[in-house]
Amino acid sequence: MRGTERFSSLHPVVTVCYFVAVVGVSVLLMHPLVLGVSFAGALSYALYLNGWANMRKTLPGLLVLMLVAALFNPIFNHRGYTTLGYLGDNPITLEAIYYGLASAAMIGSVLLWFVSYNKVMTSDRFLCVFGNVIPALSLVFSMVLRFVPRYFAQAKRVAAAQRGIGRDVTSGSWYARARNGSAVLSVLLTWALENSVDTSDSMLARGYGLPGRTAYTDFRWRDRDLMAALGFGGAVLVVAVAMIVGALRVTYYPGFVVSSWSVATWLALGVWTALCLAPVVVGVVEEAKWRSLLSNP
Amino acid sequence: MALVAVQSLNFAYAGSQREVLRDVSFTIDPGEFVLLIGQSGCGKTTLLRHLKTALTPHGRPSGSVMFDDRPLEDIGLEEQTRRIGFVLQNPDNQIVTDKVWHELAFGLESLGTPREVIRRRVAEMASFFGIVNWYHRDVETLSGGQKQLLNLAAVMTMQPDLLVLDEPTAQLDPIAAVDFLAAAKRINDELGTTVLVTEHRLESAFPLSDRVLVMNQGKLIADECPHSAGATLARQDDPMVFALPAAVRLALTLDEVQLALTASPTTPMTIREGRTYLRAKLAEVGCESAVCTATTRSMTDQRPSASLPAPSSPLLLTSPIPPSFCAQSQNPQSQSLQTTVIEANDVWFRYSRNSEDVLRGLDMSVNQGEFACLLGGNGSGKTTTLGALSGLNKPYRGKIKLLGLNPAKAKGMELFRAGLSVLPQDPQTLFMRNTIFDDLDDAARAHYTDKSARETAVEQVAATTEITSLLRTHPYDVSGGEQQRAALAMALLTNPKVLFLDEPTKGMDAFFKAKLASVLHRLIDNGLTILMVSHDVEFAALYASRCMLFFDGSVVTEGAPREFFVGNSFYTTAANRIGRGLVPGAVSVDDLVAACRVPRANGGVGLTASRSMASEGRTTEASAGKSGLDAATRSRRVDAATSRSMTGAGATVKSDVPES
Amino acid sequence: MGVEMRLTWVITLLGIPAALLAGVLFPFERNYYFISLVVVLLAMLPFFASFEGRKPQAREIVVVAVMTALAVSGRAAFFMIPQFKPGMAVVILSGVGLGRESGFVVGALTGFVSNFIFGQGPWTPWQMFAYGLSGFLAGVIFSGPAARNQGLGNLNIPVIIYGTLATFVIYGALVDTSSVLMWASDITWASISAIFISGLMFNALHAFASAVFLALLSTLVVEKLTRLKVRFGLFEPVP
Repeated sequence: MRGTERFSSLHPVVTVCYFVAVVGVSVLLMHPLVLGVSFAGALSYALYLNGWANMRKTLPGLLVLMLVAALFNPIFNHRGYTTLGYLGDNPITLEAIYYGLASAAMIGSVLLWFVSYNKVMTSDRFLCVFGNVIPALSLVFSMVLRFVPRYFAQAKRVAAAQRGIGRDVTSGSWYARARNGSAVLSVLLTWALENSVDTSDSMLARGYGLPGRTAYTDFRWRDRDLMAALGFGGAVLVVAVAMIVGALRVTYYPGFVVSSWSVATWLALGVWTALCLAPVVVGVVEEAKWRSLLSNP
Repeated sequence: MALVAVQSLNFAYAGSQREVLRDVSFTIDPGEFVLLIGQSGCGKTTLLRHLKTALTPHGRPSGSVMFDDRPLEDIGLEEQTRRIGFVLQNPDNQIVTDKVWHELAFGLESLGTPREVIRRRVAEMASFFGIVNWYHRDVETLSGGQKQLLNLAAVMTMQPDLLVLDEPTAQLDPIAAVDFLAAAKRINDELGTTVLVTEHRLESAFPLSDRVLVMNQGKLIADECPHSAGATLARQDDPMVFALPAAVRLALTLDEVQLALTASPTTPMTIREGRTYLRAKLAEVGCESAVCTATTRSMTDQRPSASLPAPSSPLLLTSPIPPSFCAQSQNPQSQSLQTTVIEANDVWFRYSRNSEDVLRGLDMSVNQGEFACLLGGNGSGKTTTLGALSGLNKPYRGKIKLLGLNPAKAKGMELFRAGLSVLPQDPQTLFMRNTIFDDLDDAARAHYTDKSARETAVEQVAATTEITSLLRTHPYDVSGGEQQRAALAMALLTNPKVLFLDEPTKGMDAFFKAKLASVLHRLIDNGLTILMVSHDVEFAALYASRCMLFFDGSVVTEGAPREFFVGNSFYTTAANRIGRGLVPGAVSVDDLVAACRVPRANGGVGLTASRSMASEGRTTEASAGKSGLDAATRSRRVDAATSRSMTGAGATVKSDVPES
Repeated sequence: MGVEMRLTWVITLLGIPAALLAGVLFPFERNYYFISLVVVLLAMLPFFASFEGRKPQAREIVVVAVMTALAVSGRAAFFMIPQFKPGMAVVILSGVGLGRESGFVVGALTGFVSNFIFGQGPWTPWQMFAYGLSGFLAGVIFSGPAARNQGLGNLNIPVIIYGTLATFVIYGALVDTSSVLMWASDITWASISAIFISGLMFNALHAFASAVFLALLSTLVVEKLTRLKVRFGLFEPVP
């Protein structure tokens, strides 16, 4: 992962800003083309990062959610003047269906962007971004990430140990299981709190609490990070201006109207498309270079 | 000019009258590698913590601690952080963050070091310790040894002048422990960092050190070079002598006269030096070595070393307990009477469909009343074996029978009701109440409904495991060895017939091990069967009745300790390695000593001759008692031995070797 | 109050009305969702800022991290009863045992880290806020008496009742509201009730689990925290 993929090797501040930008615009704008492009970009990036095998498990659930989102609106919302039929006493309108589809695309693309975000934003990237802003909380965050897998493993050991002296958490009545389960939790809790004294000693021994603590990160700000930041910033600016001047305005009720198909609209859509597809395109180009290097030694 | 100078330091914890440190004075020069030893609870950790203000416990200190010729309390926290590095016992507890790189940088972050400097220092240390390959890993994916190495490296990034290591290898397996100590020595050699380390594994630590400090009950009783430290301990009858390396003990026992007067500058310490020494000694008594011994001996001829005649030495510095419990499985008569309680037949197991097999055709069996020990390297699958035998891991092929049941098919707690109990590796996986008594009471609840019956049971078990005085203590306020015994008490409250022990001696010093052994033998006398999993070769050699070597998913070889360890050449006791080819069949220091003592005239080979003499006593005893050995005799012997080792009167051996 | 802290309060107290005003002045399609998100994030700001501003000691940081990690991983102890998660109980008991500020931080971080491990989504800020608020209120109501009594004493039942209500009302309502804002184009009673009713079973089960865990764990956790506080000399009693 590290260093193999061009986009996620950018400075974490840039990657965070990128995700904030694409998710923010996807949530704010209900323009069908904007959402469609966002969905396509999010899906391709998620596939690119995780591979088809992994995404195959995620996608069905996502599709169900999108389907629910698409149906939810026409069932509960009866605005719009094109009535297609009735569900009980309530009219089902074409506009509400359109809006439902847009919602589904929005939810789908946001969730997919988060899939990639989860993959790209590892804890060290998170610490790089927030380590200086909220040092104490960042440290707690890092420690919690250290403790959680440790506690999971210890919980398993405790359960096995309890079983070894005749207290099983997997058998018996529901109440007995809950009781033994809470015994496991009690042991875990006692253990975690008692052993935390060592952890705090270890922090003190290494000077935690001295004034002027710095936050170290492995990431360096390079020229290409600046280029990328400028590029992304420019793209977001174009979309924002287009939004403010109304070039991306769409109304769903009472009738479905796309207000403008001006040059500004097309320009904004073009820039938006470039922004959404940037990670995948950069990645694919990079890979092609790799292959040509490998085949022509 | 001393780097550290401690002058008449006294200390008592807040709210306690007992002085944990009493008039301790010593100095450490720059660049020294100093080993601090002493029994658990003698005040070692308390002393070390006085070398860093941030870790000094609350209480009443008096005396002075000087660092670099200044009183420690006058040195700012920032300078102390930078110049005094500290590594604690538990590798897991000390790691603060989730990534290796972050942990390495942690100290430098605290010191406010600029990013570029941190980058350089971290890179240097990662290269020095060979961490480069796991630099980006999650801490959780590291092994115990790697974690402790990371803790060491994370301290070294601050480039300290003094490195204080508080039992750093107690939680590690033997190989990782040796690696860690080697890394500490390398820091000392290559960077010139002064090192002060406390250790229980003296076999590896002793030869590394320039000087040895010995503590007993809060007092510093020896402060000298390792060559003479052993002799000083022996003169003072300090119980720590039992923990000394085999070569040292051998030399101390044989040379007691000279050593008592002047310290030999060339006391052997390593296995190699021990062999050279032994060769010379054997030449003195006229037995040139293997050439004359090997021919007369065969494996079947071997007898437990306890049947050696009692050497008349006033200074026998060998094992604290006569290793006499290996008799059962060797006596053909008693063997036929015994029932098999644990049996595994061609067992195969893997954790998931796509993982590798952990157990590959495991065959083993354990008879009733045995103390069987499964030995093997780290991660070889020993614990998995216990899991399979206790029904936790279900094999995909093969058959297991435990107490007449198939563990994989046993419903719920059936197996445990039938009499299985498992002592987990980490005793802290059992405690949750505010006193040990409450925890024991909880454990007893399932088996004794009546309150008074429960109390009696708890008291009885506490007496057996020797924790009666600790019952009102919080389980986390007692030492690791005591926790282990409290956990054992919990396991015993289920009235087991078969007891599994997973690495019970981890982190214990020699004294606690001896105490645990006496408890275990008391249990065996009451008819319990014990299967222990361990890397502790010395413990198994001394106390188990049968040893099995586990490797590559199955038991490779097995036998009574003597025949087992004689057959192995690397995976064996230190004494056996010293005696290899010189005194075949020697497993403990006693054996080596005996070989050097018995004159050649006595029938060629010392060991054989002395054995045959003693074996008569053995036969009568065997026929008298159940399962080959009279139980009462045995436990009496253990008690006597334990009390001896407790009082530290290592010199009173004469009185209690029962065969004589 | 330090400069940073004052600045944070200014940002929060001006920011929330400003966001609401912006929503009214510049109506666009998903403004409910967007504005509520801004409000939630701003509302958490002062809590975090006060934790940072206090420059917590190593010991306090460790205890907060341990309690958070326990809240996140507690479910591992109950792998055999899925849907039965002790997170909320641990958060509430942190508030009771450590005071309101630590209660909030433990809660909010529990929300954040759970999402970090099991997948972030647009619901993360709401969950963080819901957990944090539950921990905070637990601290406000109980930490005084708990600290004075050196234990829970007879507060067991009130804590259980509070925990049940907090899980159902604070957590359930906040998270469901976020769903309404996310899914519905305009907020109608029909769409609100549809989502709330569909979440009812889940919230009831969650609240029940919290009650059970609080009943089983509250005395123990407060006892252990008290012991630790004594050993650490930490967290002086809240007046």
